[in-house]
Amino acid sequence: MDDNLERPTSKSQLPPAEHPEDEQSSGDEDQGPDWTKLPSVSGPRPVIPKRGEKDFEPIAAGGSGYQRHVLDRSRSAMFDALRAAPSISSKSASHAVWYPELARAHVTIARGVVVANMGHSVARPSLDPGVSQKVQKRLELLPEEALYLIERGALFCRKAGEPVLAEEERLDEMEGAPMSVQQAFAEMIGKEDLTLEKYQVYAYLKRLGYAVTRAKPPTSEYPVPTPYPSAASPSTTIFARLRNLFRSFVFGLRNLLLGSFDWRRPIKFSRWLHHNMDYTSLSKSLRFLPSGHDVPLHIKTKSGAPPSPYEIFYHLYKPSTPFKKTAPPPPDFSVVVVNARTTPIPSLHELSTLFGVLPELPPPVPRKRQAFTPGGSKTPTAPPPVPTSVAPSSEASSWRKLFQWAPSCMTKQSSPEKAQPQAPRTNPFLALKTGNKIIVIAAVDAGTTTFFRFGQGVFKEWPML
Amino acid sequence: MSLITPNRRGGANKGGARRNENNRIYGLPLPLEFSTPATARFHPARHILGLFGIPDTRILNPHCEGTFDPLTCSVWVTNSKDSTILWRRGFFGKGDLSRSEPSWHTRQMTARKAAGKFLTSEEIREKRRAERKQFKLDRAAALAQAAAEAEAAFAEGREAAPVAIPSGATWKPQAHPTAEDSRSPTPALTEEVEQEPEEPLEDLEHLQLTLQEAFFLIWNFNCLTVIDPATNEPMSLQQIWSTFRSVYCDKLPPPLSEPAMKRFDNPFLVNYVAYHYFRSLGWVVKGGIKFCVDLLLYKRGPVFHHAEFAVLVMPVYEDPADQESSPFTLANAEPFSWSWLSTVNRVNSQVQKTLILAYVTIPASSRVSCDQTMSPACLAHYSIREVVLRRFLPARMRD
Repeated sequence: MDDNLERPTSKSQLPPAEHPEDEQSSGDEDQGPDWTKLPSVSGPRPVIPKRGEKDFEPIAAGGSGYQRHVLDRSRSAMFDALRAAPSISSKSASHAVWYPELARAHVTIARGVVVANMGHSVARPSLDPGVSQKVQKRLELLPEEALYLIERGALFCRKAGEPVLAEEERLDEMEGAPMSVQQAFAEMIGKEDLTLEKYQVYAYLKRLGYAVTRAKPPTSEYPVPTPYPSAASPSTTIFARLRNLFRSFVFGLRNLLLGSFDWRRPIKFSRWLHHNMDYTSLSKSLRFLPSGHDVPLHIKTKSGAPPSPYEIFYHLYKPSTPFKKTAPPPPDFSVVVVNARTTPIPSLHELSTLFGVLPELPPPVPRKRQAFTPGGSKTPTAPPPVPTSVAPSSEASSWRKLFQWAPSCMTKQSSPEKAQPQAPRTNPFLALKTGNKIIVIAAVDAGTTTFFRFGQGVFKEWPML
Repeated sequence: MSLITPNRRGGANKGGARRNENNRIYGLPLPLEFSTPATARFHPARHILGLFGIPDTRILNPHCEGTFDPLTCSVWVTNSKDSTILWRRGFFGKGDLSRSEPSWHTRQMTARKAAGKFLTSEEIREKRRAERKQFKLDRAAALAQAAAEAEAAFAEGREAAPVAIPSGATWKPQAHPTAEDSRSPTPALTEEVEQEPEEPLEDLEHLQLTLQEAFFLIWNFNCLTVIDPATNEPMSLQQIWSTFRSVYCDKLPPPLSEPAMKRFDNPFLVNYVAYHYFRSLGWVVKGGIKFCVDLLLYKRGPVFHHAEFAVLVMPVYEDPADQESSPFTLANAEPFSWSWLSTVNRVNSQVQKTLILAYVTIPASSRVSCDQTMSPACLAHYSIREVVLRRFLPARMRD
């Protein structure tokens, strides 16, 4: 799906139609914002020229007045947009106080999105003189949250300890001079594990509409998402136990008749026992090399090595997921943020550590194509409730081959499997390309962020033969 | 349609007919053939087996023959019947004078007959490249015309008239008068050539198997015999095992080559683990040098569909000390930079392939004794696991 963005086309891409009031959205992924579409406070809106392609060489006939004119027009539109002052009224802005030693901003007046899904409530003893010592719960923001709101202009934050204006001198609830954006950056970057790269990723994702929370709670008061539902342990029903017993019996019998595994001739054929007599079973017998993520790793790590930067830092929730601040659900994506210049790609040890904490996802269901309805509701692609994998298993078929003379036995055993609702068939390529555990790694390279999805491979579950 | 056998039906051999033809020719996924002999006479074995519901199948082993070539580190199959079998049943190897399938002989034969009737894959490729070049010239001309038009319109102060710029999907090659003129003298020449008695054309091409492909065929199916070029004798499995590994050790200076034979990080072993793993899952595995990767995985074969996956084999040392003392320089053993990973991913997503990182763990010499390398049993100590890499676009994943 995302490959479509990377396919080259000879047509110039027109920016998608944007909601005119949405000043924060950007056009295409890899290009800058279309400055001519941003509303500017000063003066009438400029004539919107189409964003076209720049020629890469001068015209042979000479003269590039048209090209220069187009470029000048775009450049001046950009400067006009930048010159415009942020236009948020002070009535809808929130107010906060930044405490550097706590690395938190305490929100005094909260309005709008601040209360909705940002910040967490912390109980702190009240420090006002004259009020008896009692513990009050107040809304606090992490440094990245406060910085994001200040950058947007939705928060006026003053530093704790700065002189406070007297009642009469105050304008519009402001208690003191609010921090400028530069001061806010200087104060907040570096506190509480927040680096510039992590902030850039945070701000980008927030602007797109995701809910972003920290994976490792910085204090005990930080709300922790509900743990993932633990993977169902291999069923211990009588049916499963019988099957395991029978399988080991058949395995022992086969070893007895054909001889144990010989590394000189790993594949044995037997006409009488019909062993390896078709391509499927031959292919299955070829899989004798240890493979898959369950095989234990014996990697020695150097004892003096610094801790790995590959740690889940953010939890990501899609805008459509109902997100409750105090009891967040299990996250949709887990994000690791690294600096692309200083950190190489994760080694196998780091990747398996990351995968170790993630849940296994069921194979993805292909999107149902819906007829277009003007109401515009799209069914979310929820994974089917049936957790059983739809991968073909040849063990059942080998059972059937040997017990052809006892058909009644087979129907009884296969009926509980058929009683479950028929799960929609998964496309094997879709399952192979997604994997069963997903970790998102954001590599920030001096401002440009690239997100990669590393998925744990499931090739063993989807053989082609 | 096999790309080298002539098609008599002409236009009817497109789409479904070609697919059926391909399914028929490339129907066997591995060199061994299973057959149920349909003999009418009474055979006790068939009936006894039939009581158990077991069909009586036999294995037909083609018993191909190849020669080991130490200079190119590969196995050459010169017998054209064997190379056809190995190519058609599993797409093993590559013709050394051809793009993939050993088709040099057929191309030479068709070059003698009237040109243009039968096309091999190389000729199709040349035709496609010429067409694409022409398309690019047309498109550049249209772009230049559009720019000139816009410039003239701007100078006069009016709107530019839109110029149609050809796109790759809708451009059709136009018949150029110059090409047709050059064709007319050739039929006269070919007529003259055919009147002369032709000497039989010897097939100078051979099929080249990589060491991993050859070992896979020998070890698992026993359908390939490798001849030692020095003694002209077939090599035993033990000899093949040590020769294939020594190919990498002989390049080292003499004091190092002896102990290097006992190392686990021999590139042959590491690449063989990856090759065997994907072949055992039913994928057709070919080389991936064209796309900056090590292996390409095809679902049934190159003639059916483009490769879906591009695999980078990443060796992982269990013991870092082994890596420091290693005389081999294994590719991708050191974790590389994000910019290179981005590059490889970008190259492959341009051609709609998904990048897979296949991690092969190399056992530590402290954990497993080095004498294990004397037999293929050492492969039990390696392990392979894969990780799928895709780009994540938050703007698209919002819903």
